[in-house]
Amino acid sequence: MVTLDLAQISVRDANEAMRAAAARGENIELLNPDARHHLGVGLVAPVKVTIRGSAGYFCAGLSHGARFEIESNVGWGVGDSLYDGSIVVGGNASAIAGVALRGGEIVVKGNIGSRAGQVMKAGTLLCCGNASFLAGYMMYGGRIVILGDSGERVGEDMSAGAIYVGGKVQSLGSDARLAEMTPEEDADIHAFLRKYGVAFDGVFQKIVNAGNKLRYGVNEPVSRPLPYTVAEGGTYWNAKVAEDIHAKALIGRYRLRGYGAAKAVPHFNDIALRLDPARIRAASDALASVNLKTKIGDRNGAKPLELSMPVLIAPMSYGALSKSTKIALARASKLAGIVENTGEGGMLPEQRAEAGQLIYQCLSGRLGWNIHDMLRADALEIYISQGAKPGLGGQLMAKKVTAQLAAVRGIPEGIDLRSPSRHPDIMGADDLVIKVEEFREATAYSKPISIKMGAGRVRDDIKIAYKDGFDFVQLDGLQGSTGAASTEVLENVGIPTLAALQEALDGLREIDAGTDMPIVLMGGIKDGVDAVKALALGASAVAMGTAALIAGGCISCMQCHVGNCVVGIATQDPEHEARYEIELQAKAIARFLESVRWQIATLTKALGHSDFRQLSRADLVALTPEAAAITGLPYEPDYHPEAEELLTEVA
Amino acid sequence: MASCKPFSVDLAQDQSGLPHYEPPPCQVACPIGTDVGSYVGLIWEGKTAEALEAISATNPLSGVCGRVCDAPCEPACRRASSDGPVAIRALKRYVLDALGPSYRLPPVAPDKPKKVAIVGAGPAGLTAAQDIALAGYRVDLYEAQSRPGGMAQWGIPDFRLPSEVVEDDIQRILQRCPGITLHLDTPLGDKVTLEQLRQDHDAVLLAIGASAGRKLGVPGDDLPGVVDGVSFLNRVNGGERPRLPKKLVVIGGGDVAMDACRAALRLPGVEKVVVAYRRGPAEIPARAYELEAAKAEGVEFLYNVAPRAVVGAEGALTLKCAKTALGAPGTDGRRAFSLVEGSDFDLDCGMVVAAVGQKAVSLELAKYGLMNGDKISTRAADMGTSLSGVFAAGDAAFGSSTLVQAMFQGHKVAYYVLAALEGVAHPAPYRTPYRTRNVPVAQDIAWEKLPPKEPPFIGVAKPDPFGDAEAGYDSKTAKEQAARCYRCDTETGSADYSVKTREAIFAMARADSGPAEVAALTRAKLEKRAGPVLEAMATFDEIVFLPANLTRLVIDPYREACKTATSLGGLKLAQPILVAGFDDAPAELRGAVAAALVEGGGAYVGRAPLPDAAAHWLQIVDGPEDASPEAAATLLRVTETTPLALPPARPGRLRGLIATKASLARVLRFALAEKADLVVLDGSGHLGGAWADLAGAPDLSLLSDAVETLRALKAEEAFPLVWFGGLRSGTDLAKALSLGANVGIVEVAAGLAAGGAILPSGLDFSGVTAADAAERLKAFLKAAASECSMMARCCGKTNVHNLEPEDLRTLSLRAQAAVGIVMAGRKKIA
Repeated sequence: MVTLDLAQISVRDANEAMRAAAARGENIELLNPDARHHLGVGLVAPVKVTIRGSAGYFCAGLSHGARFEIESNVGWGVGDSLYDGSIVVGGNASAIAGVALRGGEIVVKGNIGSRAGQVMKAGTLLCCGNASFLAGYMMYGGRIVILGDSGERVGEDMSAGAIYVGGKVQSLGSDARLAEMTPEEDADIHAFLRKYGVAFDGVFQKIVNAGNKLRYGVNEPVSRPLPYTVAEGGTYWNAKVAEDIHAKALIGRYRLRGYGAAKAVPHFNDIALRLDPARIRAASDALASVNLKTKIGDRNGAKPLELSMPVLIAPMSYGALSKSTKIALARASKLAGIVENTGEGGMLPEQRAEAGQLIYQCLSGRLGWNIHDMLRADALEIYISQGAKPGLGGQLMAKKVTAQLAAVRGIPEGIDLRSPSRHPDIMGADDLVIKVEEFREATAYSKPISIKMGAGRVRDDIKIAYKDGFDFVQLDGLQGSTGAASTEVLENVGIPTLAALQEALDGLREIDAGTDMPIVLMGGIKDGVDAVKALALGASAVAMGTAALIAGGCISCMQCHVGNCVVGIATQDPEHEARYEIELQAKAIARFLESVRWQIATLTKALGHSDFRQLSRADLVALTPEAAAITGLPYEPDYHPEAEELLTEVA
Repeated sequence: MASCKPFSVDLAQDQSGLPHYEPPPCQVACPIGTDVGSYVGLIWEGKTAEALEAISATNPLSGVCGRVCDAPCEPACRRASSDGPVAIRALKRYVLDALGPSYRLPPVAPDKPKKVAIVGAGPAGLTAAQDIALAGYRVDLYEAQSRPGGMAQWGIPDFRLPSEVVEDDIQRILQRCPGITLHLDTPLGDKVTLEQLRQDHDAVLLAIGASAGRKLGVPGDDLPGVVDGVSFLNRVNGGERPRLPKKLVVIGGGDVAMDACRAALRLPGVEKVVVAYRRGPAEIPARAYELEAAKAEGVEFLYNVAPRAVVGAEGALTLKCAKTALGAPGTDGRRAFSLVEGSDFDLDCGMVVAAVGQKAVSLELAKYGLMNGDKISTRAADMGTSLSGVFAAGDAAFGSSTLVQAMFQGHKVAYYVLAALEGVAHPAPYRTPYRTRNVPVAQDIAWEKLPPKEPPFIGVAKPDPFGDAEAGYDSKTAKEQAARCYRCDTETGSADYSVKTREAIFAMARADSGPAEVAALTRAKLEKRAGPVLEAMATFDEIVFLPANLTRLVIDPYREACKTATSLGGLKLAQPILVAGFDDAPAELRGAVAAALVEGGGAYVGRAPLPDAAAHWLQIVDGPEDASPEAAATLLRVTETTPLALPPARPGRLRGLIATKASLARVLRFALAEKADLVVLDGSGHLGGAWADLAGAPDLSLLSDAVETLRALKAEEAFPLVWFGGLRSGTDLAKALSLGANVGIVEVAAGLAAGGAILPSGLDFSGVTAADAAERLKAFLKAAASECSMMARCCGKTNVHNLEPEDLRTLSLRAQAAVGIVMAGRKKIA
């Protein structure tokens, strides 16, 4: 047995020593824990860990297989995303005990705080005392046993699983109901109690999902969109407005669709490069002479992502997209020497195998989130929001929630899946920094950690991201797309990509942050021309999602939410997915990325530079008053390069 | 349909350069630029006559093409790589089948004095004749045979293309073009000479076709019992049904070979037909469909077989053959072949049909030195020959090709003939123009799922083996097949990912895109310029919400709807929405509105109460004397000159005023002084008139002006503000609430929700049932309330009334100026 004294060493050193000891199969004893955070996070070995005293946040979080015993109390998030193993807490546990539990057993001898077992998927959480409000909030599976009383709104919006309350139920949550308990269940719970030496002779009340809110009511009639020109050039009460109102009058709720904001907003087309298009010639040798290589993610000493050009694949989930599409994207990203991103849906083994470098995204529902995939990832990303629907959680229509997909995400199949709009353990900037630290501890500070943000009050949000120590920011504007969102949110919530970038840069300048936190910009970036404009304004890289999908055959019908994607991209229906030829489309996406590379290199060179980092605002002019007002670039609507310039520079 | 000009000769009709038109791959693949998207869309809509108009605008042989076009559009169809292409050809046949043979297009009479002679009434000649005639010139069309149609008539057997179909198409052309005079049985050089034609006409077009079959080119190829494919088909298509030997060998692998073998199989006496082809199954040029049909009918195929000689006598021939081996592709892209030594073998048969190519033959033209071998010597650039005013087109000029290629040449030559007639010395080079009829996309619920369905295959029909080998679609199948079209020709629903953007991305991803293509795409994108600065009024669309992200995190219970309950000066509403506009609607509809409002917890704003007294009524009046005792509120409409006076206060009745931009200052001062209960801000300027919202975009500055004025007077909470103007959704409402309104009035949106349609005269409710209208209006109000909540929730609010200006940003300078909200991306307005 190894004994570590936290009065002597830091948590980081202690966690490292624990991993080393566990690898040797030695049990561990922690002295003087003094409620420090992150004790034992990310431990993946079947050893026993005894904590002599109280632990802080996320004790034993993201671990697998170990047996933890904490003599006294724990802070919030004990056993966060526990994969398997056991945790026995001698005293009380704070809020969100067993958050996102994926398996294993947590026993709290005292009371537990609010939102116990939030978004848990499997396993058992036992509270021997009383539980505070919202126990089992949005749980997707597993069981919570409360021997004492439960607070208000127990089982609020749970999708599956069961909650057993031995004492009083103060009130049932929305869409929760009392259910009959079988003798087998009762016996099973008592066997569990005996295993942990807990005596109980009361009667349980069982709480399950009432099934009223798992599915939307009437389905919206499929309608292929009217051309955008109907609204753009039309009268106020145009056919698109009428169609929209007619549809809502039929379904009684907001409408859904895929893609991003469809209306025209200030964008990169409103900015011109200071160069003569005629100078762009096929014979350019820019690819050989312009440096496009870059690294992001080493702001805090992690191993950075290495990019052959300042382009990433935007986060898109397996779920919104078919597995075949995710494989094609991963393959293409490897061919291009760039980075793929899992999006919300968890990591597919095939995707991991195909992608050269992969960012693993952590969302509010912790769908598919687990320590093993964290360790397999090249970078971790905390999703706060996305450009398409900032302020709301993800949506995946039941048609797409197949058995296989549900298994990867750890949820019941066939529900209209709505992820929570907020993380259970990120209420503000202070929690966020602790969450980041948990991930760093769990992965030995080896992985870059990024934040994905939909654009809102970017000027302020970026300062928090900076101060919370993120390695880079993935900033997503109003034009960012999605597989399903309310049309109203798509068009009306968030600010355009161009404005987002400007606000981010201004915000960082306001706190003299310098340039050490790269900004990856996304939301309507369509090619190398847009990329060059973004880089010249100050982005460190760009990410492309929709453009990559189109390169791989998407026809922009915007019906992603229906699940019958005609080309096999946004579907989980095997017949439709079969239409997608992985190798063919992976190559098409890779060719598109090479065209993007050619554009970035050629334009960089044509602007007189040898490295994309030399691109600057001096290379740009604004073509609209709005673009000028947003960026501060000179407003030159009729800008056309002088012929003389042609002779002085060489493309 | 009088406007149905043959656009192929009018390059100005090309729409590929328009900002919102991108010619789809099928149209580009079609030599004559058929507007496939439009006709397929029209079929789905059930508009077959319009579909034919779209087809025949470029294709005079619509019926023929519906049967036998080689359809290069289908492999180009984007859905081909998904679950199979759209059945473009079969859908064309459906249009003609549905309209029936007697369907005619309106005639276009000649109106110009010049005349053109066209020799050859085949596909090229007929196409050119129609183009020239529709341009107003007279055409003399000379045909050597007894029936017009050329290869369509004489080359393709009836089971694929019944003679009547060809004749119908030709009759349609002739009746549409009374300027065409058809001269049958008039071979060139025999009944009419080139010299004569040149004298009598202003131009001559030679479209004589390549109707002579080539010989096999091996010893014995002139034996009786060895015939060429074209002669064989001519006999059969002329109506002969000769009794033939039991076994036939057809040599060749093209379309003529397919037609010949299938025709032979249908003739009396024939038991077995073998096709011998020099190369392998991967190289055979026949269309896959024809090949499959031949196999399905029992034709046998021998690949990699070359004939060496024919020996014996008619009825007992021996075809001496050798096996071939394939080498590398030659300059024409076809793989070279060599004979395999020692592989010789014999094929016994009663008859050999050599379908190994066709040639043009004309002694008359040879006299003028116009023939170059077996083709008419023709300049591809302008379709002219060495004789001035003499043009040539079709198989005779450029070698045998497909029907649709011949029609392309017909269009092209007509373009140059017309240029010559009109004295244009250097016409712009001809290119196939692309046009669209901008037909709406099919709204078919199953469009992504519907599988491709080939037309029913009949094969060798009974009792008439020369009857149709393929049936047409019924109307249901046709509609389903039409629904499958992606409609690549239509603009997308996204300004951000417009069709041009999508196509540029596709192009960047294509295997055949090299640096030159990417460079061209890059230049095109760099040349793009932003649209003109808009002069119109800022709308709600130029305002967005700021989501609660890191800076405004809140623990709002997810899915728990935001609170929407609203008190309007004491009047309780379930959501901050009032309904207006139905004053002149039919009584039963007004009843429906009342029902929806009573159930949904809303109230009505109008001049007259709704039939149900339970529905709260906010009465619009022009003077205090009009105030009704039944109303929950009196709203005095104030113009610039209206005297300001409120009706006497009475318990339970609210007193309010309606302000427009012109009367705002007066109204607010008066409302404060008189302690009015509410003020309605009329952004349309017409509230109280019929469907005031139809005035268009409201003046949003009215709302911010009102808030600012009240703030300056330190009276922001003095009375609730009700917004009227341009509210289309709960989102618009949420924006109005954020800007300072407490309640919004929906009017045209409510009318549309209830089932109305916008006409110049206002909203029309014909055919709308009251029960339906009530349900729909209720659903719309519910949706609007939920949208409003959703916006508030995105902003981190749990009550829609907590929305505030700080939750908003504008997207344009005009919106920033109108509502005083800073534009996204900027820190301050100035």
